[in-house]
Amino acid sequence: MLKSVTVILAAALGSVATPSLAGGVVNVAIVGEPDTLDPMVSTKDVVSIVTQHVVETLYTFDGSWNVAPLLAKDLPTISEDGKTYDIALREGVTFSDGSKLDSADVVASLERWLKIASRGKTVADKVESITAKGPDAVEIKMTSPYAPLLSLLAFSNSAAAIYPSEIVPKGDAPIDKVIGTGPYKYGKHVPDQYLQLVPFKGFVPRKDPANGGAGKRGQGPDEIRFIPVPDPNTRVEGLVSGQFDFADSLPAESYDRLEPSDKAKPVLLKDFGWPVWAINHKAGLLTNKTIRQALLAALPFDDMLYAAFGDDKFFKVDGALYPEGWKWHTEEGTEAYNQNDPSKAAELLKEAGYDGKPLRILTSRQYEFHYKMAEVAKQALEAAGFKVQMDVVDWATLGQRRNDPALWDIYITHSPFLPEPALTDMWFPASRIGWSNPQKDKTVDAFVAETDPAKREKLFAEMQKENYDDVGFIKVGNFNALLGEAKTLGGVPPSPWPYFWNASKK
Amino acid sequence: MLKYILKRLFGMLVVLFLVLTITFVIVRVAPGDPAALMLGPDATPQDAAELRATLGLDQPILVQYGKFILSAVQGDLGQSLFFHRPVLSVIAERAEPSAFLALFSLIISIVIAVPIGIFVAYRRGGVADQGAVSTAMLAASVPSFWTGLVLQRWLASDLGWFPASGYGGPAAGFLDRMGYLVLPAIVLGIVNSALILRFTRASMLDVLGEDYIRTARSKGMSEGRVVMKHGLKNAAIPIVTVVGLTFALLVSGAVVTERVFNIPGMGSLVVGAVLRRDYPIIQGTLIVVATLYILINLCTDLLYLLIDKRVRY
Repeated sequence: MLKSVTVILAAALGSVATPSLAGGVVNVAIVGEPDTLDPMVSTKDVVSIVTQHVVETLYTFDGSWNVAPLLAKDLPTISEDGKTYDIALREGVTFSDGSKLDSADVVASLERWLKIASRGKTVADKVESITAKGPDAVEIKMTSPYAPLLSLLAFSNSAAAIYPSEIVPKGDAPIDKVIGTGPYKYGKHVPDQYLQLVPFKGFVPRKDPANGGAGKRGQGPDEIRFIPVPDPNTRVEGLVSGQFDFADSLPAESYDRLEPSDKAKPVLLKDFGWPVWAINHKAGLLTNKTIRQALLAALPFDDMLYAAFGDDKFFKVDGALYPEGWKWHTEEGTEAYNQNDPSKAAELLKEAGYDGKPLRILTSRQYEFHYKMAEVAKQALEAAGFKVQMDVVDWATLGQRRNDPALWDIYITHSPFLPEPALTDMWFPASRIGWSNPQKDKTVDAFVAETDPAKREKLFAEMQKENYDDVGFIKVGNFNALLGEAKTLGGVPPSPWPYFWNASKK
Repeated sequence: MLKYILKRLFGMLVVLFLVLTITFVIVRVAPGDPAALMLGPDATPQDAAELRATLGLDQPILVQYGKFILSAVQGDLGQSLFFHRPVLSVIAERAEPSAFLALFSLIISIVIAVPIGIFVAYRRGGVADQGAVSTAMLAASVPSFWTGLVLQRWLASDLGWFPASGYGGPAAGFLDRMGYLVLPAIVLGIVNSALILRFTRASMLDVLGEDYIRTARSKGMSEGRVVMKHGLKNAAIPIVTVVGLTFALLVSGAVVTERVFNIPGMGSLVVGAVLRRDYPIIQGTLIVVATLYILINLCTDLLYLLIDKRVRY
């Protein structure tokens, strides 16, 4: 018995000792198993990363995060009152089941999106009707102008994905087998082991040149294999050993491991996102504006970022809600950022009549940088006179507790920089944090209704100023994401939601 | 003996009922909402409430418990909230890597620990004994994840002798898949050999001081025969016990090692299920693990009959 097992081990060892990659297979290590293959029902990044290869939307974002057409022929014609969107569809596009894309598919898919998708629901009450105008055109009528609509239609999570009308369920039921118009279709899937994407032979690409997610999508790899690897160190070692061609979301400390490797290299995705302190405006200590201002005055953002990321190549101390280079970038109000002024904070606390009630910071070690920055902030807040209670829980518990305003004052999360500010729900009174004041609400309402880009930028500058004045939510800074890719891999532009349809291997 | 086996199996049913009840209560008392986790960070509380209703998680806990027990006695452990498939079929998929990882690592442990344990007991107090005991202490003290990370980095990433992680792709045959288990099996084999070595040594030391060993020697029997035939045979019961327990622990999932090497076994399944709050998978895995544990212990007890004819049940 022992002998035969040894023989098996030796034979097996011989067969896999040097991992070899089949030609044209791109192995991508992702952070976990996607919960679903239907991007309409999830807001998780891992779902977007995988499904964007298979399922397409009417619009997408180009390399500069501008909305660009994908299944739509061009950007829509918008009526003068901003309420009617006429969308012409590309002709000759087919789904991977062989059926042709037409307006009935778009109407059925968008109606489902408005009904069941988190992002779709935010706009549902503003949509009066979605109507087919012939086989290749759709009209969306709004009850009031709503500028973020196109961004919502373009976003790849909680996506307005277009499916054949035949597979769109009538009610809330899930889609049994996801079919799309993208360059790839689902192959073999063994949960927690791999998900194989294979080229869809009937794929009809756009003719315009590739530009970010927009333009021509290719079918570079013969196969894209997504491999869920929850442990970040395992993703790093898989890259270094040559087992993976790409690995998502790597820890900052692995940069030095990847840099000298002869097989892989680190990829720094600059200004990936922002850690955010969500403030409870519905109940508790921070419903008092003066205490919120004391909080903002006390926080040492530079120290917090340094503790969180350890090396300034991974972060930037920046109070603007969008980094330089984005059209939304403005310095309005940022003088209130990174004050690091405990005496001012103490005075504000005194003025507010602070009675020593603990400030409850709800955080998790799922993302170690959340916890590390909270630890540094705690010292600074205590120095200013706050009593701080750190509630450190697992991510699932945090996800549940933050829904109950009685249980927290601040919870820590993070977000990538979203192409449209209105996609950040904290601006709206109905959000979990419940931030509302007449002036800010008026500005935000004007921002979402305004269709003139220049006026929107001005309004956003006002919104940012109001966020600092009223301390609606707190941006800690900018952080860079670390990804890794094999030196043999090309054609994968750095992105929060990396895509591989134009990838090539040397 | 049949009566004994039946009695043990009845006891198993009682234990399983308790496991069912305790796991059901624990997973629901623990905070965390599976619906919110499935929908993602930007989903609203209303979305989560709707999904909870769809999954039946909004029903009173006693109703959920009643349904769960009724299904379980019919052999239905429910549907995974995450995988949307029957729990038993998900667990069955994970059985192969866990079972073979357990088997390989146990073989490695036995091959390392038993001969060394016998040898150092025979040479008690010598350099080899002290060296083996110290090494075993070290191996038992170092966390398995550390050993795993070091060997992964050295043998897989730097030398390229083994795949760094995973369990093979779509084209991987049985032997390919087994190849992915070699490095994690070595890690677990080293870690678990420490315990078996110490048990073997202690048990052999007890036996080698017995009168019948002196008698065997006085009869002129060779040292090899004395140690192996009279010594090892009489020392075998504690060794078999610890090997059985180790095997049961390994089969139920080497949680940390499976994570480090990304092996889709029972350990990673249950950890993933806890993080995702996939209640049916947590419950189902614990029931299967408890059953395996009890059955392996029963088999270990029955093995005593073969080893020592004086044992009666």
